[in-house]
Amino acid sequence: MEARDLTGPAVAFVVVVALIVGGAAVLPIFSGGDTPEVSNLAQQQADLDAVRVTAADETGEITMDSDATGKTVLVDKAHENEFSDEKLSTLVNTLVENGHEVRFVTQEQARGSAWNESLRSADALLVANPTQAYTPEQLAGVRAFNDAGGRVLLLSDPASSSGSILSILGLGAGSQQPSSGGPGLSSTFGVAGHSGYLFNMHEYQHNFKSIYATAGRGSLSQDVDRVVFRGSVAVSTDGGQRALTSIEQTKLSTTRRADTYAVAVQSGDVAMVGDTDFLAPTDAYTADNEAFIGNLADFLVSGQKTGNAPGPPSTESENGTGPTLPMPTL
Amino acid sequence: MAQARTIFVVAIVAAVLVSAVLAPVAYDYGTSAQSDGTVSVITISGTISSTTVDGISEDLRDARTNESIKAVVLKVDSGGGAVAPSERLYLEVLRTAEQMPVVASVQGVGASGAYYGMLPADEIFVLSSTQVGSVGVIGSGGAVPVPDSVIRSGPDKAQPTTDQRERTVESLKRQFVGRVMEHRGDELSVSREEVAYAKTYLGPKAVENGYADQIGALPTAIDRAAGMAGLENYDVTRQEPPQSLGLVLLTSQTDNGTMIYKRSAQTNGLVPVTRPLMVDEIAPYNPEVNANGSA
Repeated sequence: MEARDLTGPAVAFVVVVALIVGGAAVLPIFSGGDTPEVSNLAQQQADLDAVRVTAADETGEITMDSDATGKTVLVDKAHENEFSDEKLSTLVNTLVENGHEVRFVTQEQARGSAWNESLRSADALLVANPTQAYTPEQLAGVRAFNDAGGRVLLLSDPASSSGSILSILGLGAGSQQPSSGGPGLSSTFGVAGHSGYLFNMHEYQHNFKSIYATAGRGSLSQDVDRVVFRGSVAVSTDGGQRALTSIEQTKLSTTRRADTYAVAVQSGDVAMVGDTDFLAPTDAYTADNEAFIGNLADFLVSGQKTGNAPGPPSTESENGTGPTLPMPTL
Repeated sequence: MAQARTIFVVAIVAAVLVSAVLAPVAYDYGTSAQSDGTVSVITISGTISSTTVDGISEDLRDARTNESIKAVVLKVDSGGGAVAPSERLYLEVLRTAEQMPVVASVQGVGASGAYYGMLPADEIFVLSSTQVGSVGVIGSGGAVPVPDSVIRSGPDKAQPTTDQRERTVESLKRQFVGRVMEHRGDELSVSREEVAYAKTYLGPKAVENGYADQIGALPTAIDRAAGMAGLENYDVTRQEPPQSLGLVLLTSQTDNGTMIYKRSAQTNGLVPVTRPLMVDEIAPYNPEVNANGSA
């Protein structure tokens, strides 16, 4: 077979290939290709304004109105208190700037008679989230201190597994029922906390647990329009003042009942606040938190404590306290 | 003569053999000629991650471009996953639902990110034991403080505050809840606020409150999808996720967005083990974990 005989088939081959491949290349020009039409569904589907969450304004200064000076505030650090120095710093700075002294009671300083000695030289006591029980002697000391006009500020976050502040203080509180007011709940301090945390799905700051509370009665609510508490306990008082109450439609996690719950109460020389987060430097200037912190500082230094209460164990009767109080049960 | 008979037998045998090969092809052809179109069943299972969504997106894209596919059924059994992949899944399903009927059939769980993904479906079928809902976002709070041995270029690098994290979670929640209301608002008997509680509902309750449409198993859903596409006789193709995904999923499941540092001998300091950017999870729904209140 000669090479010339192959020319015909070779040409036919090239022509057929060129026709088919060329046709395939030209075809999309008429059929319009296969690029699908793309619509920006992601943007059509998003209401960007509705999903933008802006940061809350943080303005104002923490100021104190009280003209008292040289008062001593004792901070309980003896009962494994779950209260960070960061949160404490806001209040401590305010007190120190206004000429007051802040002392911390360590575990060693709370043993035996040392606890009463510490209390004796103080004007106010701050107890936040204790996780270790008070001894009957320590409790008796706090009560004698309070009866003599020493101010007591209780701060409590929602109870962890370790129990609520009041059960640790031996006050038999931590009620499951709101406002049950049973005789077993009425404490010497006249304040109590509920179990669970407060939330509001209707109106809240950034998170359902960050609830708004508005001013109630008493000096603690002075100049406060509304504050923001993050993860707060509902507190109640027997005959005292509801200083701050949560806004409408706030619910308690355990009962899911909507109500206006008290989150800060004052009963004479005792105040209780159902949150500690508002003291954190990041939250201290949100809403009117700074005004409330100033009020708390004023509360701590405005007591009129008389005598050397609590007295040493041997001279307890001099102060007219102690023996008349029933021993608390832990 | 004998030779001619042999050739005849060989020809018969060869013909039978060739026919045996061709007959199924012819049968298939005959069947598909009877069929009006195909319903593609696409499986969405396990934790929703970018890898799983890559696969599902491809299946959905195939369904959209293949002219014989007239309807899609999502076979869902997932408790959710990361937020961004869930939104991608949602958008892919939405794009598909604009072209053809899409019906979701929830097997065990269709919660959180998985529920997000099936929102654009025309109908949602559940079983009596199916759990759907959990319309919410979960994420870690403020980051663990970065040790001084790690150099950062700015105060917010790898260090979001609790407030920033809360705003992020709140924004993602609004997107999720907003889309639930947009797609199912007409059916839902619960308010937007109640949806935001992120509760998970069992099948019968879900049908009652509008989270789902009907009680029914996968074949019912397939038949419904075919009916919506106007197919009397139809084929079904099943798109299962590739088997090799198991290993990838396992690693993504352990990634809970927490920053982990390890001590490195080379740099004589702490180095981040996981990527420094936080991952927001649309909570995987796990009944056992949920019982402890941490899901």
